[in-house]
Amino acid sequence: MARVVLDNINKIYRSRRGNVHAVKDFSLSVEDGEFVSLLGPSGCGKSSTLRMIVGLESVTSGEIRFNDAVVNDLEPQHRNVAMAFETYALYPNFTIEENLGFPLEVRGVSKQDRKKEVRRIAGLLQIEDVLDQKPGALSGGQQQRVSLGRALIREPAAFILDEVMSHLDAHLKFQMMIELRRIHQSLGRTMVFVTHDQMEALALSDRVAVMHEGRLQQFGSRDDLYHAPNNVFVAGFIGEPPTNFFAVQPEEADGRLTLVSDDGATRFQPSDHRAATIRNRGGNSFVVGIRPQNLTRVADGLENSIAATVLLNEYSGERSILTLTSGDARLQAVTASGDDVGRGQEVDLFYDPDDVLVFDAETEDLLV
Amino acid sequence: MSERNYRLVAILMFVFLGLWALISLFPYYFQFITGFKGIEEVNRITPTFWPDEFMWSNLDLIFSDETNVAALLDTLLIASANTALAVFLGSLAGYALARFPRQAGGENMAFWILSNRMFPPVAILLPMFRAFDTVFGSTDNHISLIILYLVFNMPLATWLMMVFFRDAPRELEEAAYLDGYSPLRAFFKITLPQVVPGMMSVALLCWIFAWNEYLFANMLVGSNVAVNTIQTPGFVQGAQKLWNLAALFSLIAVIPPVVLFLVLRRYMVRGLSLGVVKG
Repeated sequence: MARVVLDNINKIYRSRRGNVHAVKDFSLSVEDGEFVSLLGPSGCGKSSTLRMIVGLESVTSGEIRFNDAVVNDLEPQHRNVAMAFETYALYPNFTIEENLGFPLEVRGVSKQDRKKEVRRIAGLLQIEDVLDQKPGALSGGQQQRVSLGRALIREPAAFILDEVMSHLDAHLKFQMMIELRRIHQSLGRTMVFVTHDQMEALALSDRVAVMHEGRLQQFGSRDDLYHAPNNVFVAGFIGEPPTNFFAVQPEEADGRLTLVSDDGATRFQPSDHRAATIRNRGGNSFVVGIRPQNLTRVADGLENSIAATVLLNEYSGERSILTLTSGDARLQAVTASGDDVGRGQEVDLFYDPDDVLVFDAETEDLLV
Repeated sequence: MSERNYRLVAILMFVFLGLWALISLFPYYFQFITGFKGIEEVNRITPTFWPDEFMWSNLDLIFSDETNVAALLDTLLIASANTALAVFLGSLAGYALARFPRQAGGENMAFWILSNRMFPPVAILLPMFRAFDTVFGSTDNHISLIILYLVFNMPLATWLMMVFFRDAPRELEEAAYLDGYSPLRAFFKITLPQVVPGMMSVALLCWIFAWNEYLFANMLVGSNVAVNTIQTPGFVQGAQKLWNLAALFSLIAVIPPVVLFLVLRRYMVRGLSLGVVKG
């Protein structure tokens, strides 16, 4: 059990063709027993970060601490971390039972105890019936569960799970997510979960660290990420469909501040609090972000709206995703199912001023 | 294609393969029958294609001479020891080049190792002869040939093993490290078993080279130690060349590689196709 702290980590890969700065000034503190996800698009440095935590990759600068001990120079086998790999990494010449029991065998656990533990884990992951087979004979989902089982079977300081659900089908993935959550609750161990799938990250973790281009963009709970994204990247990355963005300029009339899109076609009313921030700050260009879920066709007490023309109505059974145009901009809105609007129809989309996120156009940071 | 064309292709295939088999097997056939002819029949001006009488006693003649048996055993010892060394050292070197290319000297080092096979072998004969003569007092011993053949087999083993190790997934080792294995233990327990098919084919290639080598053996050894290739031309009686015994002895010398190949054939095919087809 351990608290995992990354303190100002940098990773630079040097090669003849030049240096790649994969992880930049990365700091993160995972509390003991916490379930944290590293979320980001491919190539954002999340796997490098993970490999540095377990010790498979050296740290260029900065410190990694487990509890208060610096582990930078510790070999992987002495860090006491367990990892499940995206590619499963099952030992092909061992049976599933031997694969699962391997970490225990290394630690000198007796054959009988090993067998008992293997049965327990296999039961948990529903792979009892393949214990005497070789990994090659298993389906992708089974292999993934074995690899997860091999990480779970011992009691390490921290579990590191690298894209462990990427090869599971939707049904199994859902089951595994519940299972993983349950395992985490019953073991109470520190888990770091790496994924590019925000659904997994948000559903499983206590806190999510969003990475982009080697930098930590935001580290917070799903509420933080959803309602108060640090910057344009997080606002655009979290949420499905993605947030609508407009380049806007502030306009003052009758003591009220309005944000007008650059083409003049769309006007947004920010909350009084944000309007005050914009006034204090000055400047002439901002970015407005508004989530498709926060645009509705039903006024229901909302006073503010924007006018848009429907381009496409994607009906998925539980909801409709409307793609619309407003001026030169294209935006999306999520409405209740059965909302029967078609191409070319003019609609009013209502919103709550509190849901209008305003970002600095230059730094792309959220104005609070 | 019509039914007739298929049959035509099949017939042509069998004709072609049959001819090929005939051409490549004829020497062995002739070696076989010569080996069991009497010397008088061998020396006839018109060759016979089936012995008048099978002289099974030729076998006795070969095996009753201790030097013949000793030559086979010497060759076996030299080839096997050389193969073991080449595969062991080649695996370690190949692993280093595959996993730590920068620390191990990179492409240049790998190419330099391979380039050892590019110059004419005779070029190193004289310095090697001098070196062994100085160090061991004589070149007429097993160890000289065992070391000398490494010059040719090690580059081959290193290069091929490097390719096999490159294809072995790295995650397995990493998983083993995390599970608590030291790098050396992970290498022997996890990584090496994955490249066994490749290793077998490398071993076979090395062993056959050493078993069949003639040039260096002829220069370095001959009296204390003899190998099969220099024993074969030695069957003479006065001015009389004993072709039948020479043929029989070399026929016997062909058996071990053939047996070895048959035993390791499964690995050989897998090993040589490793890295060609992924998956």
